Amino acid sequence: MTLQSLRALPSEAALLVRISLRNLSGSFLNLIIGMIIFAGTLFFVVGGSIINSMDTGMSQSIIGSVAGNMQVYSASSEDSPALFDNWNLPDLAAIPDFSKVRAPLMANPNVREVVPMGVGSALVVCGNSADTALERLRKAVEARPRAPRGQIESLKAHVRQIVNVIQTDYDSLSRVAVKNAVDKQSVQDLARASSDAFWNGFDADPLGHLEFLENKVAGLIPDADQIYLHYAGTDLDTFGSTFDRMQVVDGQAVPKGRRGMLLSKFVYESFFKLKSAYRLDEIHEAITTQGKKIASDPDLQEFVKQNRTETREILLQLDPLSAAKCADIVRAATGSKETALPKLLESFFDTTDANFEDRYKVFYGQIAPMLELYLLKPGDMLTIQAYSKSGFLAAINVKVYGTFQFKGLEKSDLAGSLSLMDLMSFRDLYGYVTPEKVAETKRLEAEAGARQVSRADAESELFGGDSLVGDAKEGNINDKAELGDVAQRVKSQDLVTRTYSPDEINQGIALEAAVLLKDPSKLKQTMAEIQALSDAQKLNLKVVDWQKAAGNIGQFVFVAKAILYFATFIIFIVALVIINNAVVMATLQRVREIGTMRAIGAQKDFVLAMVLTETVVLGLLFGSAGAALGSAAVAWLHHAGIPAFNVFLYFFFSGPRLYPDLSTGSLIAAFFVVLFVTCASALYPAIMATRVSPIQAMASED
Amino acid sequence: MPEIVSIVNVRKDYHLDKVIVQALQGVDLSVDAGEFISIAGPSGSGKTTLLNLIGCVDVASSGTVRIAGHDTASLSDRELTRLRLNTLGFIFQSFNLVPVLSVFQNVEFPLLLQRRTTRGERTRRVDELLEKVGLDRHALHRPSELSGGQRQRVAIARALVTRPQIVLADEPTANLDSVTGDTILALMKQMNQAEKTTFIFSTHDAKVMSHADKVVRIADGRIVAAQAAGAHP
Repeated sequence: MTLQSLRALPSEAALLVRISLRNLSGSFLNLIIGMIIFAGTLFFVVGGSIINSMDTGMSQSIIGSVAGNMQVYSASSEDSPALFDNWNLPDLAAIPDFSKVRAPLMANPNVREVVPMGVGSALVVCGNSADTALERLRKAVEARPRAPRGQIESLKAHVRQIVNVIQTDYDSLSRVAVKNAVDKQSVQDLARASSDAFWNGFDADPLGHLEFLENKVAGLIPDADQIYLHYAGTDLDTFGSTFDRMQVVDGQAVPKGRRGMLLSKFVYESFFKLKSAYRLDEIHEAITTQGKKIASDPDLQEFVKQNRTETREILLQLDPLSAAKCADIVRAATGSKETALPKLLESFFDTTDANFEDRYKVFYGQIAPMLELYLLKPGDMLTIQAYSKSGFLAAINVKVYGTFQFKGLEKSDLAGSLSLMDLMSFRDLYGYVTPEKVAETKRLEAEAGARQVSRADAESELFGGDSLVGDAKEGNINDKAELGDVAQRVKSQDLVTRTYSPDEINQGIALEAAVLLKDPSKLKQTMAEIQALSDAQKLNLKVVDWQKAAGNIGQFVFVAKAILYFATFIIFIVALVIINNAVVMATLQRVREIGTMRAIGAQKDFVLAMVLTETVVLGLLFGSAGAALGSAAVAWLHHAGIPAFNVFLYFFFSGPRLYPDLSTGSLIAAFFVVLFVTCASALYPAIMATRVSPIQAMASED
Repeated sequence: MPEIVSIVNVRKDYHLDKVIVQALQGVDLSVDAGEFISIAGPSGSGKTTLLNLIGCVDVASSGTVRIAGHDTASLSDRELTRLRLNTLGFIFQSFNLVPVLSVFQNVEFPLLLQRRTTRGERTRRVDELLEKVGLDRHALHRPSELSGGQRQRVAIARALVTRPQIVLADEPTANLDSVTGDTILALMKQMNQAEKTTFIFSTHDAKVMSHADKVVRIADGRIVAAQAAGAHP
């Protein structure tokens, strides 16, 4: 190639492009090819941006909430960490002394923080409405004569109201149940508790009457809530300052160094809130944020149905005065003339799209102030019992300071259900204490007068004779009583107010630890360094990245991505085949033109380049148009947001709506994919075109 | 004048299914540089085949074809293409312009393929030729906007723009009315005189043959007569 020929190259390329541009409008086939490329690029850019935004949002949610960039755990573990797998706790061996792991890890220059953790789950039993009412009455009675007379009368009336509600339940049950299905003794007890004689005699022997009510009547209400609690025990101070996604919603953060708990806001709303109120919230949210209609949504209809039929929780909470007031409110709201409150509530909760917002306002504005909306309030103590590592049932009382949420995971029961607990309480429940700590714990317990009572210990102590438990109790072991016992005898106030130093918190077991990095892009490198460090110093650790540590959730991200890329792949394969056919047809239509070019001196290379250039120019033009429209669509979506229709999407979107960002990666990838697809699909027709003989130019025109 | 086309005992067979068609059966022809000759004969006589061999778009089954000193049988496809580009010019019966290019671009096209002229040089040569064929005002038109005669003039300009030694024209006036055909032949003759370019064109029209310096008659794949124009009754 001479210098002159080189100088002419741009002209030839310009000629090729010019021929391609001129040819664009020349054939209907080009329009088809163009539209396919247009649609493919549009899909790729929009889909890619959405997936990328989901990926970024989700990874930030996961990393910034609890997982950290990576997690370390004992190499002796059977399983690997699965922080968000609510129903499947992994079997992790304990790291006996977290402080011995933290120090060497912090020495890595890329490590920002190491946060100790342990995930556990427990069933929490919250007392029913009768228990609560009776407890209040007992306190008032015990406080006599200081307690105002009116208060006791009011509480008595409430308890009597509760008895009436249960009585009504039993009456209807007796009508439908087969003989002997209803316990005769219970019927007799209820009859006694609802009689005027019983209540007239109450003041003469209040404690005796209370005991009868507590033992015989309260148990007849089957509404005690068992709540499954999934919690992470951690160093709450470090946790709070390290994980930016965590935010306290109600109450306050657990004070520095204290024992305490923060409930997940999601769990608090779903399980600790009055069910009727929770369902109203759900309907309200579905209508206002997702534009759903009760008339057309079966889920919402189910909520309405449950609200109509399940009003007993409200009935039990209302004393006669409140009940009358509530009936007035409901009559005003519904226009009903009905007198019976259950019927009234049923009609009140029979909400439609037309009246829902009004009823919602009436409920929260007028009815809710008479009710306890939550089973537990910030500042209350919560009794948690869990099976410890060694198999016995451990129980602790822990103060709930408030609720929190992980920003982005608020509404997700997939990942938002994790509550937070201090590490000391977690260790008590976990039941594994290092030898060094045993002595100190003993000393502390002696000081505090606290004892851990487990079923196994309790039995041996009971039948062994001279234990405190043995003294306090005779005969039956009753889980509930035993727990109550613990609650009384652990001078929980001492544990609650005790402040633990960072060393105390660190020097104990942890099941895993989240490692946060200064530069997250060096994740793989730092993982390798930490693994090497662990091997060298015999720390017996294994390292996993956040995606793996999150459990199945982390894999969802991967699956979602794989689905998108597979769909895109299929689309482009189909596009490739169609474009290939179209270019073959277009080439056949131009045999004469190509033959002429060959005759007057165009080499085969030129013909090859011409067909390729044409398709590529076509691809780039329509691809750019598709990318431009895609970018516009993403910009619009970024503004408008894509609503999350269900909890899965809520998690993937890291919130109620996804606001996708345009991903430059997708744009660049789209460019190369279009380039590749057009080149690949035009290659065969281009080679075919080079085989066109110049003789074909000579043939006459028909 | 030196010999520019030398054809010695050339045979050309085509295989149509199982039948072998003997398009040329031992043809000898010699053309000197600067000649203006016509190859005449009825359809199927072999004149297009002969033109294809001279035009280096086809090769002979046997015999020797020498174009400007090159034995075409010994050349590769790439070399034959280069020979067509630099030594030959083509004028087609159906004009065969590139429909998406303007008149100017069509004429410029072979120069671009040659890759050895500057933009200025190309513009100068194309403009000069368009003026000569009387289409300087139509430089920016598309072929579809031109009449048949105008299109063939563009084709003539395109054939001459590389200053070839030989221009081949296959039935150049067959798609034109007789008046236009005459002007086209006159133009070709004028170019032949001015540039000393050798013109070889095929025709079956006696009136067209009469323009030629020499007429080579071909029938059934053989040359039956070669005579100076006007010598034939």
